[in-house]
Amino acid sequence: MKVLATYNIKGGVGKTSTAVNLAYLAAREGCRTLLWDLDPQAAATYLFRVRARVKGGGHALVTRRRPIEAALKATDFDNLDLLPADFSYRNMDLDLDDTKKRTRRLGQLLDSLSDDYDVVFLDCPPSISLVSENVMHAADTLLVPLIPATLSLRTFEQLTRFVADSDGHRPEVVAFFSMADRRKRLHREVIEAIPRDGTRVATTVIPALAIIEQMAERRAPVPAFAPNSRAAHCYEELWSEVRPH
Amino acid sequence: MTRPTRALQATGEGRLELESIIAALSAHWVVAASSRQRVRRTRLDTFDRRLRAAGLTVEHEVLASGERLLLSHLDGSPTAAAPVRDLRWPALADVLPAGPIRDRIAPLTDIRALMVVSDERRRVQRLALQNKDGKTVARVELDEPAAAFVVSASASAAPTAPSQLIVQPLRGYDEQARRAERLLVGLGLRVVDADQERTPGSTGPSLPMDREEPARVLLATALSTFSASMRENVPGLLEDVDTEFLHDFRVAVRRTRATLKLGRPALPAAMQRTWEPGFKWLGDLTTPVRDLDVYELDLPRMSGWLVSADPADLQSFATHLRSRRMVERRKLVRSLRSVRFRRLVTEWDDELARLADTSVALDPPETSGTSDIPDVPAGAGDPGRGYLPAGRLADRSISRAYRRVARGGAGIGADSPAEDLHGLRKRCKELRYALEVFAPLIDHTARRRAVADLKGLQDVLGRFQDSEVQRLGLRDFAEEMMAEGTSAGAMLAMGELIGHLETEQDRARREFDVAFARFTRPSSLKLMHHLGGAA
Repeated sequence: MKVLATYNIKGGVGKTSTAVNLAYLAAREGCRTLLWDLDPQAAATYLFRVRARVKGGGHALVTRRRPIEAALKATDFDNLDLLPADFSYRNMDLDLDDTKKRTRRLGQLLDSLSDDYDVVFLDCPPSISLVSENVMHAADTLLVPLIPATLSLRTFEQLTRFVADSDGHRPEVVAFFSMADRRKRLHREVIEAIPRDGTRVATTVIPALAIIEQMAERRAPVPAFAPNSRAAHCYEELWSEVRPH
Repeated sequence: MTRPTRALQATGEGRLELESIIAALSAHWVVAASSRQRVRRTRLDTFDRRLRAAGLTVEHEVLASGERLLLSHLDGSPTAAAPVRDLRWPALADVLPAGPIRDRIAPLTDIRALMVVSDERRRVQRLALQNKDGKTVARVELDEPAAAFVVSASASAAPTAPSQLIVQPLRGYDEQARRAERLLVGLGLRVVDADQERTPGSTGPSLPMDREEPARVLLATALSTFSASMRENVPGLLEDVDTEFLHDFRVAVRRTRATLKLGRPALPAAMQRTWEPGFKWLGDLTTPVRDLDVYELDLPRMSGWLVSADPADLQSFATHLRSRRMVERRKLVRSLRSVRFRRLVTEWDDELARLADTSVALDPPETSGTSDIPDVPAGAGDPGRGYLPAGRLADRSISRAYRRVARGGAGIGADSPAEDLHGLRKRCKELRYALEVFAPLIDHTARRRAVADLKGLQDVLGRFQDSEVQRLGLRDFAEEMMAEGTSAGAMLAMGELIGHLETEQDRARREFDVAFARFTRPSSLKLMHHLGGAA
């Protein structure tokens, strides 16, 4: 089972749309896929039309008072399940802090599902926290969407240092540009200028397209409702670059 | 775990009226109905139903919109689905696209091909039951036969399903599916049991038999089972679907020959004269191709033995095997399509029907003193009883077979030629067949232990003989290949394989003494007494 996490300290950069679209594509090609919406904002959960509720809340999951399997929901798409968000996830750091192996608990929970799924996507909240540390330890790959702006690069540098400084397992970090507008000179320049030594940067760039914003209206992944769109093709290319082999 | 899929059908003469069903469901959910579509569903499994034994089903589904492979549990709950294109059956699992379905089933199917178990054209209409958020919380599928077109690949496949409604629960929404099912039952539908498909070649555990029953009945039952196995495997053998059809065919032939031999004290003498040569012919006929199959199947393992030579040096050997196999297979297929074979099969079944019918008198068995069971005077006893109760035949056969193994093994010393061990291997097989044929008459637990004890000895003798046979075979192949001008590299690689086999044979020979001592230990002897043997 491989774990990919969409992560960035900044919000609104395309983490959820990336997680949702890539999870859909993984499932479409036959991988048994799970998406865990870790963000209390529950955007991914909303997109899949699932109620943002986990019985017992994040506390019951983290302390294992309720089995993780009981919280899983099938989406409307073959091979794709969702572990929904819950508003109580806003306190997940506190719940994790009370456990043994506080930085590895989420990984342990996912390990119990390794027979049932081939790929897990983690849609992470925008923060640096104990949840983030758990994600670092659980994930094989961190997918980091970056808006092509100077401050984004600075944030990215912070992230790569954070990963490099963490103990134990370190995920592969793959950055990719998201919400890019090639008409803007700044965007073009940042995309050209990002250092590629020592950091993997995907060649696929996800453009800022209205159809991606329509996901919230359509409440479905882009390749599901617009399979021939440019956005769908871009996500397919991104998936072919980052998919586990 | 998600609730299993459930199928419901109309009761009695009722029909499934979709409009009224949708109307009833609409009271509780938003029902999104797809258009009716034609779908071709091909269920796949190996001949010996390995996927089913593992609790799985695989279906190849073809719709106008595309094809997919569906892997499900036996209860219908889906495991994985993957898009596919242009797959044809039968085929080995390695034709499947890389992914979780292939990863899951390839280890199960191994060298057996996926074959069509059933092939149905259906008309389906899918209903998504949605909640207020537009989320699908259960699926209901109307599944009807499209026409009279149904191909059942084997007699053991379930007959085509009538029209049915399939309630498919979704993970995390079990209660919704339960509600839908209750509603449908309230409309007069009934839940249907899953199909009970028989595995080809399987007869289930043998039922106990009365020891006083005529031996002919037991022998007829056993021989009929082997005959059915032979017939079932012929189509796959002729089509060369996979190597195991020939293997299983030969196992059935060997068992037939062994049973005819064991049954000599109870069977008419004419039966031996008529049928033993026929089945020997079948055994000899199938040996060349099977031997070549074994080499081909073993090649990957043999490549791992090479130390100096490169596995690529065995490529010309692989090519040579394939071309030899083609030649031998042509001869085999010609013989299996011959009148001689067809007559053998048909007349053999007639013979077995007569044997099983205790109202038909049997001619006396051979009275030349080859059996250690005292001759029954002609005319004595009940002719329909085949002259011997089954229990007596079982005791004497097991006893005799065991004594021959014990004597044969005790006579093997450090200088005994290889033929002595090959001969002992045959005696072990006879004992094993006796324990199998007479299973309905003997204690099940004791029999299992005896077979386990015997297996250890058979394993060592098997490795000894197989190493020698393969070694000699490789020498012959090497000579043929040299005559065809093969490379020095190939010859050196063959030489290494021959050397490895010699080492293997020596190792098996060293292990023989321990294996034989274990087989003849006091507890094993006691077991044989209990089974009626070692008298």
